Amino acid sequence: MTSEQKIAALRADVDVLAAATPETVLGSLPNWDSLAILLVVSHFEHGHQQTITGAQVRACRTVADLLALLPHKP
Amino acid sequence: MQSSLTHVRLAGLAVTVGSVVRDFQAEGLAAGQEPAQLARLAKAVGLRERRVAASDVTALDLCADAAARLLDEAAVDASSLDAIVFVTQTADHPQPNNASLLHARLGMSKAAAAYDLSLGCSGWVYGLHQAAMLCGAGAARVLVCAGDTLSRVVDPADPATAPLFGDAGSAILVEKTGEASAMHFVFGTDGKGASAIIVPAGGERQPQGSGTDSCLRMDGAAVYEFALREVPPAVAGVLKLAGWSPEAVDHLVLHQANRFVVSSVARKCGFPEAKVPMDLAEQFGNQSSASIPAAMAHACADSLQGGRRRVVACGFGVGFSWGAVAFEAGPMVIAPTLVFPR
Repeated sequence: MTSEQKIAALRADVDVLAAATPETVLGSLPNWDSLAILLVVSHFEHGHQQTITGAQVRACRTVADLLALLPHKP
Repeated sequence: MQSSLTHVRLAGLAVTVGSVVRDFQAEGLAAGQEPAQLARLAKAVGLRERRVAASDVTALDLCADAAARLLDEAAVDASSLDAIVFVTQTADHPQPNNASLLHARLGMSKAAAAYDLSLGCSGWVYGLHQAAMLCGAGAARVLVCAGDTLSRVVDPADPATAPLFGDAGSAILVEKTGEASAMHFVFGTDGKGASAIIVPAGGERQPQGSGTDSCLRMDGAAVYEFALREVPPAVAGVLKLAGWSPEAVDHLVLHQANRFVVSSVARKCGFPEAKVPMDLAEQFGNQSSASIPAAMAHACADSLQGGRRRVVACGFGVGFSWGAVAFEAGPMVIAPTLVFPR
């Protein structure tokens, strides 16, 4: 999966990230809340079969930081 | 722990729900929440309406109604019950327990055992296990009631919990049988997660009083992570004990926290949505320990009344605590789900 595909999938699953770019600062989004964090955790679980925690999501500053939680596969 | 018990069957069930309808959008707007945010929550989590108990109705009343209707429908005399197990965390009194009070209401024999289990959303599976063990130890017929009125325990100003919970009471009849049918259980506890769902005050550690918090507080993200982490292995565990694949199961009945959680956990368990009731909380709210029998009565009644079915159920929640069970059931008595008072 390319970086573009990864961000497109994230946009599709997490409503508040629908228009996000890698540079988008998560805390600047008006609805970056506990529901958005749950949707990100769910996206990783079902879209990438990767279990992450809400704490890991809260520690991310930008969308690029979220994508960096995914293991790099060449 | 794992447990397999034989020569026991689930003979019937009934569920009674609160009579007051609460609309999610209307409640949110009245509380000053933004319409767009309410629509977002409704769509993502699956929140529409819920049913709560009238102010003078308790979990005991709801369970008593369900129990009386079940015994009537199954043509079973209450005096023939060997025991009653009552699962609740919203009992009428600190003492005596709800089971003793219901024992009197139903007119059960003095020879019957009656006790409560203090468990929440995992509790129905624990109650079923207690009944199955009692049947293995000499009882012929056990009534298990599970119900709560959690809508009263939440903080109305807390948007993380206030719109979630509905009130319901359930009753099931568990009987010893000559058939070699088995119930397979897997239980687990992670007490380190206890603070993620807690009513801080109101017990002996922190008596209720001014400045104390006696409302239910919940870390939704922690609970979601817990459910995704612990439920799929528990479901896989009972499938292994039963020797079944997901394809061989007719119904996977998960605790109906909300559609988002049920759908997510079911996917991770490897079950198709068609086998998993998941819209109950949208109509009734999260019914705590009554949600599994409520989902069976709501979504699986025709199937379970019609013939022998393979059922897997899993409850999970406060504690953290979880319990899964795999069993064959049916044809069984299922009384219609009704409101109380009618």
